[in-house]
Amino acid sequence: MDKKAQLKAEVDRLLSLPLTEHVVLVANRGEIAMRIMRACHALGIGFAAIYTASDEHSGHVRLARELGGDNCLYCVSSYHDANELMSVADNFHCTAVHPGYGFFAEDFRFARRVTKRDRPMIFIGPSWKIIRELGDKINTKRLARSLGVPTVPGSDRPIYEEVEAERIAKSLFEFQVEQGVTHPLVLVKASAGGGGMGIEEVYDPDQFRQVFRRVSNYALRQFKDEGVLIEQRVKDFNHLEVQIVSDRSGKHPVHFGTRNCSIQSSGRQKRIEVAPGFVPDTLEYNFDAAKLLTNIVDYSLAMATKVGYDNVGTWEWIVTRTGEPFLMEVNTRIQVENGVSGCIARLPDHKQVNLISEQIRLGLGEPLGYTQAEIATEGVGLEYRIIAEDPQNNFTPWVGRIDQFTWEPAPWLTLLTHVPQKESYEIPTEFDPNLALAIIWGKDLEEAKQRGLRFLDSLKLQGENAQGQELKANIGFLRDNTTNLLRF
Amino acid sequence: MIDNNIEKRIQALHERLIYLKDIFAGKHEDSASLLEERLESFQQRMNAAFVFDPYTDMAALEDLFSYVERRLDNTITPMDRVRIVRHPQRICLRDILENVYDNYTEVGGQDEYSLDPSMLIARAVITRHRGKKTYQQSVMVIGQEKGHGAEYRNGGSVKPWGNAKAMHYMLVAETEGIPIHTYVFTPGSYPIEDYPGAAQQIARNLYGMAGLRVPVIAVFSEGGSGGAEAISLADRRLMLSHGYYSVISPEGAAAIEGHIRPGQRATTKLIEHCASNLHITAQDNLEFGYIDRVIQEPPLGARPWHFEFFRLLRQEVIRATDEVIISTRSLPLLRGLALKRHGSPKADLENLYIRWALSGHSKKRLVDLRQKKFLGLSTSAISDNRPWHTKMWAACVDYVTQPWNSFKYDFYRKHQRKIKVIMEEVDNEWESLKNKLWAPLGKVLQKFEVKKPENYGEQLTTLSTWNHDTRIKRWKYLSPRYKIDQAVTCPNSAEYGCMDLWGPDLFGEFAGVCSYCGYHFPMEPEWVVQNVFDDGSVREFNAEIEARNPLNFPNFSERIAKAQEKNGTRSGCKTFEARIDDIRLVVAMLMGTFRGGSVGAAEGYKFMEAANFALKKRFPFLAYVHGTAGMRIQEGTHALIQMPRCTVAVRRYIEAGGLYVVLYDTNSFAGPVASFLGCSPYQFAVRSSNIGFAGPGVIKETTGIDIPPKYHRSTQALSRGHIQGIWDRRQIRTNLKQALRTIGGRNLYYR
Repeated sequence: MDKKAQLKAEVDRLLSLPLTEHVVLVANRGEIAMRIMRACHALGIGFAAIYTASDEHSGHVRLARELGGDNCLYCVSSYHDANELMSVADNFHCTAVHPGYGFFAEDFRFARRVTKRDRPMIFIGPSWKIIRELGDKINTKRLARSLGVPTVPGSDRPIYEEVEAERIAKSLFEFQVEQGVTHPLVLVKASAGGGGMGIEEVYDPDQFRQVFRRVSNYALRQFKDEGVLIEQRVKDFNHLEVQIVSDRSGKHPVHFGTRNCSIQSSGRQKRIEVAPGFVPDTLEYNFDAAKLLTNIVDYSLAMATKVGYDNVGTWEWIVTRTGEPFLMEVNTRIQVENGVSGCIARLPDHKQVNLISEQIRLGLGEPLGYTQAEIATEGVGLEYRIIAEDPQNNFTPWVGRIDQFTWEPAPWLTLLTHVPQKESYEIPTEFDPNLALAIIWGKDLEEAKQRGLRFLDSLKLQGENAQGQELKANIGFLRDNTTNLLRF
Repeated sequence: MIDNNIEKRIQALHERLIYLKDIFAGKHEDSASLLEERLESFQQRMNAAFVFDPYTDMAALEDLFSYVERRLDNTITPMDRVRIVRHPQRICLRDILENVYDNYTEVGGQDEYSLDPSMLIARAVITRHRGKKTYQQSVMVIGQEKGHGAEYRNGGSVKPWGNAKAMHYMLVAETEGIPIHTYVFTPGSYPIEDYPGAAQQIARNLYGMAGLRVPVIAVFSEGGSGGAEAISLADRRLMLSHGYYSVISPEGAAAIEGHIRPGQRATTKLIEHCASNLHITAQDNLEFGYIDRVIQEPPLGARPWHFEFFRLLRQEVIRATDEVIISTRSLPLLRGLALKRHGSPKADLENLYIRWALSGHSKKRLVDLRQKKFLGLSTSAISDNRPWHTKMWAACVDYVTQPWNSFKYDFYRKHQRKIKVIMEEVDNEWESLKNKLWAPLGKVLQKFEVKKPENYGEQLTTLSTWNHDTRIKRWKYLSPRYKIDQAVTCPNSAEYGCMDLWGPDLFGEFAGVCSYCGYHFPMEPEWVVQNVFDDGSVREFNAEIEARNPLNFPNFSERIAKAQEKNGTRSGCKTFEARIDDIRLVVAMLMGTFRGGSVGAAEGYKFMEAANFALKKRFPFLAYVHGTAGMRIQEGTHALIQMPRCTVAVRRYIEAGGLYVVLYDTNSFAGPVASFLGCSPYQFAVRSSNIGFAGPGVIKETTGIDIPPKYHRSTQALSRGHIQGIWDRRQIRTNLKQALRTIGGRNLYYR
């Protein structure tokens, strides 16, 4: 048997193992590591955890000791070093790796390495080919268009020729005028770029040529490919998401509804997420919101089916004021805000759904076990991200020591945090200063909002930094933005 | 009181004795001690005034010296020759200028006040008579000056700017229309990279000499490697009988053969072994055909007092120059007669006069003869395993294709362009006339025209067609190392903090490039062959030409066989035809995996044939240097001669209007860079390359200089002006495409 066939046989063997024989490497830190460990524990799956020296007081280390004993932890030099993670996995005889979010979650090479090394493991997430396919923005856009899924108007392949680029830009400006956009904007992006690099806006058609050349030169220097994408810059929109879940067969993906993540910081980081995406029964919209939600769910499922999507993932959409949806991108991982979808979802046994458990269970090869028709929703869920930052000052992160962190527990509240409550905690500087997630359920939007405010009022968060200045957090920002949730 | 004359002669004998002892380095002790004893006793007797007839005794003693020298002359080994040419008593260029020429003026500096005292340049004059008439004939004399051991002469090891000076004055001679006589007295070039760079300047010299439109005569005394080639691409190559001409100094060869680490020294035995196996003597090189004539020296080699020898040398250089001039004459019958007359040893050249200036037609013929002379060398040093019909075809194909190509490119293309230009002009005129005539009608029609609204929405929101998805690149060839599950550490990790890379990623998708710092790991030659050119477009030719062991160098045949087996090729140069986006080109690839990419006779032949093929077809010509360690030392001068030979081939190609691009990939050093690669006006390097003349060990060994780290990195070569650009490995295809479109050649088939 050649090496390729051997590898495949070994992966198939792993996928057919009973859950209890698995050991999962939790290749992440903080809050998500804790959720993964709890989920594994509840499913009866063993796990191994990692931490860095600066993280040794983090809650995830304590929880790992609590649930897995002293022998499930390994101190690594960096969460970013794949070689080290592989050694740790071998050390604990892990059968699978859960990347969480961030770090290696959307790195197809890491996923490929996990499944193609001499001692292969399962990567808990979609297969690496899917991560690669949907991680490429041009590929995703072309896939969407081939299925009739709406995407942002503009080019769907890299443009190299100046003449062609100008023609597209010109038609984009005219198209927006036709659509009634008062200040049309065109976006020029390096097609090989990512993470917001090599993107410029064009306000005026005459400016275009200059910007095109600049971005194209930048792209050549930075990404070794001078192709650019030319798109409409959509302004004034809501940010919606569709949660997709599928088992390893990839044949019958289901969705767990929509989320609205429009409350964001000035740096486009989400601060409040609400499920479902709109509430047409409660609020008035100047477009058919119910139909819109059905549409984006259907579009997302169509794409997932087409690529054979085989784990959890999120389809991100922007919806304009006129109710037009455009597909933005696909996140091939579990997201921070999965909890809000989970808390309103109901399966036949009437329990809330833990999407992380589902991800692990399905990732390790179990079949889905239910159909779309059996998934119901109830009420409204919202999630606050409690962060040490200064919203008044451009959301600058605050670094220091937390002395007090308490809140009033309630049956409708889930609070996820790696910050210890019994002792004071230094916020490590090398990670984002996310302190806690509060997930709140209410039977309708009004109740969820009231409960949310009640929680925020009960929250006590105090501390000081090295200069003796008082802790700054975004509680006020969250409170201010609760009033208008889900209104467009 | 001893007679002054006798004293001087005693002194001279002392020097002859020292010389004899030095060049034999401990051998023939008995002869030396006999002479010493006799000389001592003669001197003692002189001092004691016991000698009755000192002049007779002196003459007898001198005869004895001469007798012993003559006897020992028959026992000289190749290594003795090396010691002879390096001896301070050996004749040097100044002696030649004084004794061979009738008058001279040094133009390239004065003693140590010179750009490079080891390169001497002089305008010299030879006086000849015909009847009562006297003729002054000027020549440009160029050569290395050892200055009898003067330290500032650096032993004749010329710095790059010294070679540049030589080239400069060759061009001056060309302008003045006078012949050039070069004298090779060098152990090798001074291997530093400072501008213009040892290798690059030698390459420029070779390229320049390949096209010089005046006769060039080279005389070899010590012909060490690239330093010798820098001034010896000549119409006639003469060699002094006690000199040597070699691809590398015996010490250098021994260091390589013995795998000597820096700081260590090779044993004398190994050095002697190499010296004899490299076949470096005048007789050897005459047999190989790399030397046209040997000039007999007095026993144990010429020294400044051998005036008879200088007269002989004068005869020979005049004869050689005359012969070159005569051979350019267009009437074959007269040419033959004149050559015969001149070739006779009895010819009185002093009293013959032949004008050394050439007509335009003769100049062309001169250059062509010189080029063909070099192209035809070393054919016996390879084995040509091509089937007989291929050989026949190769031999005959020119007669068929040459007229056609020459019609197509030299006649049709040229005139086609003219016709096209005229047609365009006519067309322009017609258009403007038409517009004028139609203008009134056009205005009327415009009013009735209905503008169709464009459907922007459709174009901007639906899937467009995209034929050439070249963006997500999947390499066709992956290094076999990609199969190994291992972490690889980037050599720059200490400096830039690169994380370890996973082997399968690095050698597969990343094409051997560190994704943190861009460091290029060396890849196999196949990587470029399969990933740069169009699918299935690679067609190899001359694969049957096989590298051999022409000098029967001990144990070398097995090593060649091993390299052949390892690489699956018959030689270290693979030549093929390929396409990039449908532009056809010829590629000659030097494989670093085949004995370090060293170039021997087979590699040189294939390279030359590739250039010829590209010339005939008017294809662009790419020299892809996966790696080269230099000329293959075990083939001796068979390898060394490839430097001028391939440079001639390349020059002929470039002058025919081709595009010659060189791309260095890994370590590229020595001979090839100092000749047919370094002479390209378009040299590029992949980031993984190191480019230079000699490696750090050799530089330390020969010059004593400690060179800074990264001395030969491609970035350094770029800032020194040796190359024109540095390419990322993943961009080779794109950059080549760009090069084919934008640079070089007026006579390419696709232009």
